[in-house]
Amino acid sequence: MSWESVIPNVLAGDAKAVACPPMESEEFAGFYERSARALWAYLARVSTDPALADDLMQESYVRFLGASRPEEGEVAARRYLFRIATNLLRDHWRRPRQASIEEIPEEFFQARDESGQSDSRAVLGPAMKLMRPRDRQLLWLAYAEGYSHREIAEITGLASASIRLLLFRARHKIARLLREQDVNDGRRL
Amino acid sequence: MTLFGCAREKEVAELVRLGQWPQAFPAELRAHVSLCRACGELVLVSGAFQRARVEAGTAARLEAAGPLWWRAQLLRRNAAIERIRKPILGAEIFALTITLLVAVGFLASEAGKVHGWLSWFEDLPKALHFEALWPSMPTSVDGNVWLVVPVLALLALLSGVVVYFASEKQ
Repeated sequence: MSWESVIPNVLAGDAKAVACPPMESEEFAGFYERSARALWAYLARVSTDPALADDLMQESYVRFLGASRPEEGEVAARRYLFRIATNLLRDHWRRPRQASIEEIPEEFFQARDESGQSDSRAVLGPAMKLMRPRDRQLLWLAYAEGYSHREIAEITGLASASIRLLLFRARHKIARLLREQDVNDGRRL
Repeated sequence: MTLFGCAREKEVAELVRLGQWPQAFPAELRAHVSLCRACGELVLVSGAFQRARVEAGTAARLEAAGPLWWRAQLLRRNAAIERIRKPILGAEIFALTITLLVAVGFLASEAGKVHGWLSWFEDLPKALHFEALWPSMPTSVDGNVWLVVPVLALLALLSGVVVYFASEKQ
């Protein structure tokens, strides 16, 4: 028995706003199983802090369950989840200094976890640290998650028209960093 | 390389996403990637991010879904209760206001009878025969409620203080 049946019509006022009924426990478990790893990877790589990724991932799911989610199916639900996570990341970055994410120096976002470096982390990690947080978000959403420009605009809240330019610059920069890293690694070897 | 990139980027991106770079790429497309700066960049970046995604996914320490679901239910329920609490509080304030108004109106309508009540209070000791309970009461006090009531109140207060200090000592 759900609590809605105990307190009937409590949400009657929200009936128009709710696009989709709340997820039942089993449905959520399946969705969580399919989306949690990708979401954690996004949060961990963009924030460069696995502990923060743990916290934000839990908070993202709780907010996702509490919000009126879109009715377009799992793809849209997943996109909505990433949007919540992106907003939480932005809130986290803004909170300590009460400043815009664009004004915060990049040193502030540099990784605090140096343990357990895997191959791809050793390759991508140093380059990611040198990117702006917003660029990390855009790159991850585009090249790790495979979202289109329109979807990225929806997730990040940026104008769809500016995504192409921002992504072009970010990709150019990280490609240069990856090449430089390759050269440096080659010299070291 | 222009801002609009290469026309074949979409095709290259899809194949990289499917994990077909470089072995499963057609030779012609591989040759294009080696010559096209935009596609070369795309393959480099996309490949690095795809590998990072897989590795980060396996490194994730996932909590069970159940507690998250229950936590969300609890928050939803609390929010709903909070929503219905506001109108209930409003109704309570309204009811209290009406009650107070009725009480004030009643008292105002009964104001003329106050003198009758006071005389009834004055006659109360006589009606209860306090003089029989307190034989030593001076005759001058007899019937004077304004002296008897404060004395009783003072006695009650003092006994309360004595009981309080006694319990404190214990």
